[in-house]
Amino acid sequence: MRKAATFRAAFAAALALTLVCYSRSAADITAVQDIAVVVNPNNAVNNLSLSGLSKIYRGERQYWRANLPVVVLFRTPGTYEREVVLRTIFQMTEPQYRQYWVSKIMRAEATSPPAELFSSGMIKEGVAAIPGAIGCVRVSDVRPDMKVLRIDGRLPSEPGYPLH
Amino acid sequence: MTTRRCVLLSLVLLLATGAATAQTATEPSQSELVNALLGRIDKLERRVAEVEAGKSPGSTPQPQTPPAEVPPLQTLQTPSTEEVQKRVATQTHEHDEHLPNGAAAEHHFPSLQLRGFADVDFSATDEPGSHSGFNLGQFVLHVASPLSKKVAYFGELSFTAQPTSYTADVERSIIRYDYHDYFKLSFGRYHTPINYWNTEFHHGLWLQTTISRPEMIRFGGRFQPVHFLGMLAEGNIPSGPLGLGYEIGLGNGRAGTISRAGDAGDVNNNRAWVARVIARPTGLRGLQVGGAIYGDEITPTPALSGHPRFSELIESAHIVWTSETPEFLSEFANVHHRDSLTGTVYNSQAYYVQLGYRLPWQQKKWKPYYRFEYMHIPATEPLFSVPDFEVKDLVSSTAGIRYDISDFAALKWEYRHTKRGPTDPIVNAAFVQTSFTF
Repeated sequence: MRKAATFRAAFAAALALTLVCYSRSAADITAVQDIAVVVNPNNAVNNLSLSGLSKIYRGERQYWRANLPVVVLFRTPGTYEREVVLRTIFQMTEPQYRQYWVSKIMRAEATSPPAELFSSGMIKEGVAAIPGAIGCVRVSDVRPDMKVLRIDGRLPSEPGYPLH
Repeated sequence: MTTRRCVLLSLVLLLATGAATAQTATEPSQSELVNALLGRIDKLERRVAEVEAGKSPGSTPQPQTPPAEVPPLQTLQTPSTEEVQKRVATQTHEHDEHLPNGAAAEHHFPSLQLRGFADVDFSATDEPGSHSGFNLGQFVLHVASPLSKKVAYFGELSFTAQPTSYTADVERSIIRYDYHDYFKLSFGRYHTPINYWNTEFHHGLWLQTTISRPEMIRFGGRFQPVHFLGMLAEGNIPSGPLGLGYEIGLGNGRAGTISRAGDAGDVNNNRAWVARVIARPTGLRGLQVGGAIYGDEITPTPALSGHPRFSELIESAHIVWTSETPEFLSEFANVHHRDSLTGTVYNSQAYYVQLGYRLPWQQKKWKPYYRFEYMHIPATEPLFSVPDFEVKDLVSSTAGIRYDISDFAALKWEYRHTKRGPTDPIVNAAFVQTSFTF
C-alpha cells in the first residue's frame, strides 16, 4: 500500500516535471517568433498592409512622402529576423534575394540593396537616427525610441499577425 | 518488482524529459545564439557609451542609473500584447547625442556601386560561310551612384570583341531626379522602353534565361530602336492592387543608320516620343502586363532615292510571368512606316513566346526553355531591306537548358532552328555559353 503510494507520488512528480519542462521549452521556442516592424517615432505611418510592406522592402515604394525617402534597414544573413522577412515579405530564398537586387540595380530601379546591419541594436539606432528608416526586430528588442507599425491592423503577438 | 519497474519508468521519463529540455535549449539555431550575443554586445556598447558620455569634459553629471540589465538567453520571451501596446504608447523621442552606429546605414554621397557582366560563347552552325568556334561575348560594367537623397546616376559600358579590336560603347548613361514614387525625371541614354526584354535584361546576359535575345530586339538590329537618347518621366500610378506604372519619354530617336540612336544629335527636327504603361498586380507577384507606343520621323542615311522621310509608329504589348515555375515571356510589336513622298504604308510584325521551367531537383539548378519567334516584314519595306538585316519572314525555334553553376554564374546550351525567308535555307545552330556577374 505504501509502495503504491510512493510510486504514485513519484509518477505524479515525474509527470508534473515533464509538463513544466515541455511548457518551458515550448515557451522558449515561441519566444523568438514574432517580428515587429519598426520605424522612426516621427513617421506618421501607423499601419501597413503586408503587400504594402512588401512593396517597401522590394524597393517598389521608395518614399514615405515627397521629402522623406524610405531607408530599409535589414539584418545580415543567418539571423532570424532576416529569415522571417525573406520568407514572409520577399517570399524568396537568400540566393533569390541577392539575384533580385542585382537585377533591380541593373534596371536602374535602385542604387543599392537595403543596408545590412549586424545587430538589432544597430537597427534600433538607425531607426532612431534616420527619419525614413524602417526595420524589423524581434519583439523583445523593441525599445521606447521605436514606433511599432501595425501590419494588416495587427500588432506583434496579436492573433493573425503575419510576421513570425 | 512492479514498483521497481514503475520507479525505473519514472526515472526514464525524468531522464527523457531532461534530455528533451536540454535538446530544446541547444536546438535554437546558431544564428539565434549569435543574435542573442549580439544583443548583449549592443546593450553593453550602449552602456559604455552612456558611461563615456558621463565622463566627457563639460558634460553635466548624469544621475547614476543602474547598468542596463542584460537578460539571460532563457528570458528572451515574446512580450504580451499588453506589453507591446504599452511600449507603443510610451514611445518617447529620445535623442542620442552620439552618432548612432545604425545611422551609417544611410547613403553617403556619392557612393559608387560597380557590377560587371561577362560571357564566353561557343557556336557551331551549318550556315554557309560561317565558322564554328569560341568567341568572347560582351564585357559589361554597370555603375550606380546616388548623388543625393533624390538624385542618382546609372551607367552601362560595354566592350565588344571585333575582328581587329574592341569597341567600347556607352550603352546607358542616366541621371535621375526622384520627386517621389509617382514622378521621377531623368535625362540620358536609355534602352528604349518599347520592349520588355530591352528594359529587363539590358546587356546582362546572365540575367536572361536564354543565350540569345529575340530577333525583334537583338543588338544591332533594326526592327525596334534599342536605344533612346533624351528625357524620361516615370513613376507609379496610384492604383492599389493593380500596381500600375508609367514611362513617358522624349528624345532623338533613330539615327540616319536606323540601328543606331541619335547620340550625336537628331537627324531631323522631329523628336521621338515613347509612352508605356505597365501593371504589376500585387496579388499575382511575377505577373506583368504592359503596352507601349513609340513615334518618330526617320531620315535614312544614306538617303534613299527621292530623299523620302518616313514616319514611324510602333505599338507593342507584353505579358510575362517571371516566376520560374513556370516562366512565361511573350511580346508582340507592330512597326508602321509611312513614306512621306509616296504615302506608301508598310506594316511589319514580330512576336515571340518563351517558356521555361525551373526543375525542382538538384537544388533547382536546371532550367529548360523553349522560344518560338516570328517576324514578318513586307518584301518592299525600304528601311529594313539592307544586307545586315536579312529578315523577311523569320520563323525560329530555340530550345535549350540553363544550369546555374552558382548563384551568380550560369552555363547554357542552346539549339536554334531558323528560317529567315520563304526561299532561304533552314539554318541549324548550336551554342554554349557561360555567363556571369561579378
